[in-house]
Formats: sequence, structure tokens, C-alpha cells
Amino acid sequence: MYGEKGFALIKELSRCKETLPPYNTDLVNAVSNEIKQLLEQIKDAQSTSDNESALVTAGSKISTITIAHAGIKRNLRCLLSYHYNRIKCLRTMRWEFGSILPADIKVNLSAEEIEWFSKYSQMLASYMRSIGDEGVNLAIDMKPPKALYIEVRCLVDYGRFELTDGSVLLLKKDSRHYLPRSECEELIRQGVFQHIV
Amino acid sequence: MYSLTDTENLLLSSDEEEDVQLTPAEVIEMMEGAWINEKFAPEILPHRSEIVDCLLAQVTSMEENIQGLDSSDFKKSIHQLEVDRLRFLVSSYLRTRLEKIECYSTHILKEEAERSRRGEESYLSEQESVFARNFSQGLEFYFDKLLNFYPGLPTESWSSRIIEPNLHSFIFVKSKTDVEGVIIDDGTDGDDLADFRAGTPILISYNSVSGLVKKGDVNLI
Repeated sequence: MYGEKGFALIKELSRCKETLPPYNTDLVNAVSNEIKQLLEQIKDAQSTSDNESALVTAGSKISTITIAHAGIKRNLRCLLSYHYNRIKCLRTMRWEFGSILPADIKVNLSAEEIEWFSKYSQMLASYMRSIGDEGVNLAIDMKPPKALYIEVRCLVDYGRFELTDGSVLLLKKDSRHYLPRSECEELIRQGVFQHIV
Repeated sequence: MYSLTDTENLLLSSDEEEDVQLTPAEVIEMMEGAWINEKFAPEILPHRSEIVDCLLAQVTSMEENIQGLDSSDFKKSIHQLEVDRLRFLVSSYLRTRLEKIECYSTHILKEEAERSRRGEESYLSEQESVFARNFSQGLEFYFDKLLNFYPGLPTESWSSRIIEPNLHSFIFVKSKTDVEGVIIDDGTDGDDLADFRAGTPILISYNSVSGLVKKGDVNLI
């Protein structure tokens, strides 16, 4: 039935709301092909029928075209929602991970999505630079500050980490640190630190 | 606010060039009001970049002043926390606006074009409108590329469906002054009027008070 594949795309979206599943090239192509097929059908219906009696065919022609047209519209809608929602998810990730995507996410993206992502990063960065006199990094200070220092536990062997005052820390797995919040906010979001409340 | 008087001492230097004399506390209060309104309003509000710029300049000068303090000084950590709070305030405000711009980019750009034709002031700041244009171009480019597998596809079908903010959503407002005769726009012919008393919270649909919100006469809560 027409439109079924498009619906499958949307179902895939709603199944994984927070994560990005691999870009479903096969299904996207299948939907695109279905749209092409339907367009051909409309064309055929328009061109044939000259030699038959017009009255008999007119009714069936109209219904063919109406159904094909509805199918195209629906498929287009599904296709666009699928891509738009993936992009929205990608946008959230830009705010979480910064301009460089983790490799395990990158493999799930299509080439166009990667292109869009780098463009988005660029425009965001140039916007942040343009606010105020010297620019503001909007990606830090995501949560209202409660205390200046917070206690964090290191979850991975990160290695050396330099603080803004110049001192160097060695971050080992399961070590605990008491650090300024602004310094470790990004590492918490990247999953290096865990905030101990 | 425990450190307000000290904060004001730290800030006095940055405020001297202002045409209108505002104390730092007033600027912060205005910023907080703008931030909360922006957070709760469904559509984008006129930008307040003059407050943002003013506050950012203050934060910078406060940071400079803090640098001069002894690091064992108890006052330093309190001032630092104050600076952090202000930074959060400003960046959260700008982030909220960016989110709205991204979500409603086409709609907002259309409205902006309409406003500039009528000669009204634009709601986006200069930097924000650059961002909005870039963003919507990027999206358009991406969708066009997606749909070019069949030449002659009716591509206008996607751009005709624009995401628009829901102006009929309900919000809580608190009026700063007494306002009389606010028309409750519920889509029917018989218009009801409501009187706002200063300080009384009211639940009302956003489109009835959008003008007041944009003028800054009422606070959203």
C-alpha cells in the first residue's frame, strides 16, 4: 500500500526519541522511489486515453490521479519530518558535545547531515563571537550555579588536565576532585566526570 | 542579596558612561524580567540587547576587579559566584532566544520582513538576524538537496508548512501597574474585558496580553 514505507520511517523516529539511529538510507530511497513511481503514474494517466471513449475513462483517471497525488504528499511529509527531526536531534548534540561529534554518532549520519552539522557549528560559533565586546560562550553555564566548587568523580582515565589558573591535575579513573564548577562543566557533559551531589 | 552593596562598589566604574543612570541592581532586575518573560512567552519578544551589553560589560569589569583581590579573601568567592550567576542569566536568556529562532526561523524572518516594511523596529538584534538568516538558508539548502532526486517535484509544499508559535497558549501574568480594559481575545465576537490590578496574578491566553508583554508592562510568571 502506498505510504506504508513513509510511515515506517516515522515509526523509527518515535521509537528512538533521544538517540540517533543509523541513517536509514534504504528506506529513504524506497520512499523516494515510491514518489517517483506515483509521479510516473500520474503522467501516464494524463497522456493515455485519447482513443478510448472519454466518458468511461474520465472517472477512473481522476481517481488514479487523486490517490497518487495524496500518496506523494504523504510520502513527502514523512520524508521531511524524518529528516527534520534528525536534524533537531543533531542540534541538541551540538550543544551537548561541542563542535566535534563522537565517532560512534558520526557513523550514524548521512553525508548531508554531517555537512549541515558543520555549517550549524560555524554559524553558532560566529554568533557567539559577535555578542558583546569579546563574545560569550553560550555552551557553558547551562545550569544555574548553586555553588562555586563542586565534587566530581572521574569515570575514565583522562590524563592530564590543565586548569585556567595554570595548575595541572592528573585525572585517573575513580579519583575524586573538588573543582570550580566552570572548569568541569564541559567534562561532565562529555561523560568524563560524574557530579556527586 | 547579601553581596549587593559590595557588587555595586565593584561595578561603579562601568556605569559612568551610561546616558541613563542605572544602578547595577536595576540592570540586573531588568535582565531578570526580560529573561523570565522570554522564557514563558510562546513567541519571540523584542530584543533587549542594550541590557545584555550593559550587563556583559559589568561582568567583565567585575571579573577584572576580582582578579585584584587576594585569593584567600572570603569576599572573592562570593563575588565569583555572583559573576557566575550573572553569566548564567545572560547566556540562558540568549539561549532561549536562539532556540525560538531556530524553531520558528521561517516564521520569524517573515514577520521581520513585514516589520521592516512597515518601518517598525525589528525584534531580533543584528547578530540574531544574521544567525536566523544563516540558519534558515542552511535548512533550505538541506531540504532542497533532499528532494532533488526527482526534478520538477513540487518543492514549495514543504516551505508552505511553517512551524508557528502557539499564541493562544495560556500564561500566568502579574501586572506591574493597574491596567484597565484588557480585551480577552477568545476568538468569539463578544469580547470580554478584564482589569488588571498591580501585583495580582492572572491566568490568561497569551494573545490577549502580547502587546503588554512586549511593552514590558506586565511580567510573566
